[in-house]
Amino acid sequence: MAEYSCLIVEDSPMMRQLLVFALARVKNLRVTEADDGVDGLRKLASTKYDVIITDINMPIMDGLKLVKRVRTDPVHKDTPIIIITTEGSQEDRQRALTLGANAYITKPIQAPQVIAKVKELLKID
Amino acid sequence: MTDIKVRPATPSDRPPEDLKKERDAFIQQFFRKGAQFTEELLKENERLRDRINDLERENGKLRAHLASDEAIRELIRKIEDLEREKQDLVSRSARAEAVKANFSQMYEEVEGELANFANLYVATAQLHSARSVRNVLRALKELLAQLLGAAAFAVYFVSDDGEELVAIASEGVDVADVARIPARRGPIGRAFTSGELAYDQARDVSQASLEDPVAVIPLHVDGHVHGVIAIYGTLPQKTEFVTIDRELFKLLGAQAAPALVNARIFTDTGRKVPGIHAFVDLED
Repeated sequence: MAEYSCLIVEDSPMMRQLLVFALARVKNLRVTEADDGVDGLRKLASTKYDVIITDINMPIMDGLKLVKRVRTDPVHKDTPIIIITTEGSQEDRQRALTLGANAYITKPIQAPQVIAKVKELLKID
Repeated sequence: MTDIKVRPATPSDRPPEDLKKERDAFIQQFFRKGAQFTEELLKENERLRDRINDLERENGKLRAHLASDEAIRELIRKIEDLEREKQDLVSRSARAEAVKANFSQMYEEVEGELANFANLYVATAQLHSARSVRNVLRALKELLAQLLGAAAFAVYFVSDDGEELVAIASEGVDVADVARIPARRGPIGRAFTSGELAYDQARDVSQASLEDPVAVIPLHVDGHVHGVIAIYGTLPQKTEFVTIDRELFKLLGAQAAPALVNARIFTDTGRKVPGIHAFVDLED
């Protein structure tokens, strides 16, 4: 059975925990956590991931810079990226999608919404 | 066998000539009639034979027709059986679809419940894993924003004289507007005094109001109210509080103040865990 891997890049431990709990409902999905963009890039350099979920507002390196860097990475240039935004940040959302993000979810996050989006991008039932 | 001796005919035995002629004519007529009758009989026989053949052919056709009718009747019976079977299968399929839909709905409900439990678990874990007041408040603000969708809120603790509620954290509001409020007046004071959770389910909670908060959560420690969380308004997309929100209100009411107090005491003791005697010689 195929196994998928997901990288969560999020500075809030609570949000990470919520995402990890939600994604535990997706079978055969291995989840790795990163504290910010730099930590995320470090993890992307050592492992190939099937999907990336990243917050936009993070210290050190934000989600927009991370999306830009990922799209220039030969290993992950086609890896689906989901960004987490707030309802009011349409500009950030649009910019992230222009930079190469594939989808977005808005805060407050709902577990079924996260699960559905990840399954859709990984093309699993 | 006995031989019969025929006596030669004498002139006296011979019939007269006219009789002879008459006899010959009769014999000839007799034979002619016989032949004619025979011929008619043969013809009649031939006609009857043809008739028999016709009847046999007709009989054969009728038999074939009857057999064909029987086959059709058999086919009709089979079609009726198949129709009944089809109706039965359609009915069973409809029942199976209904069961499936029911299971799907139950699955979604269970998934929703699991997500809610996860939220409650995360809320508790975040509050109690913080070991400083600053971190507890940070976790509390995140919980209010991320799980409840709160956009404007303040966390109050009661002043030492019990007359005022003092804001120890706030978000989305001007600090000066919420810094200190009377402990026994207004909607916040009423919730603090009564210790009862206050929120209006019918209200659009995204419409912020400093005078009339959309929810007030009394903070309990050891059976006493020591503060409140006042939510003045939520994010635009969050227009109502649902069942899980009420559960979160209850959780925060019971867990937030103890988490703050524990973090304060832990910090005050120099962030040191007491020795074993503190857990063995129990006086409380």
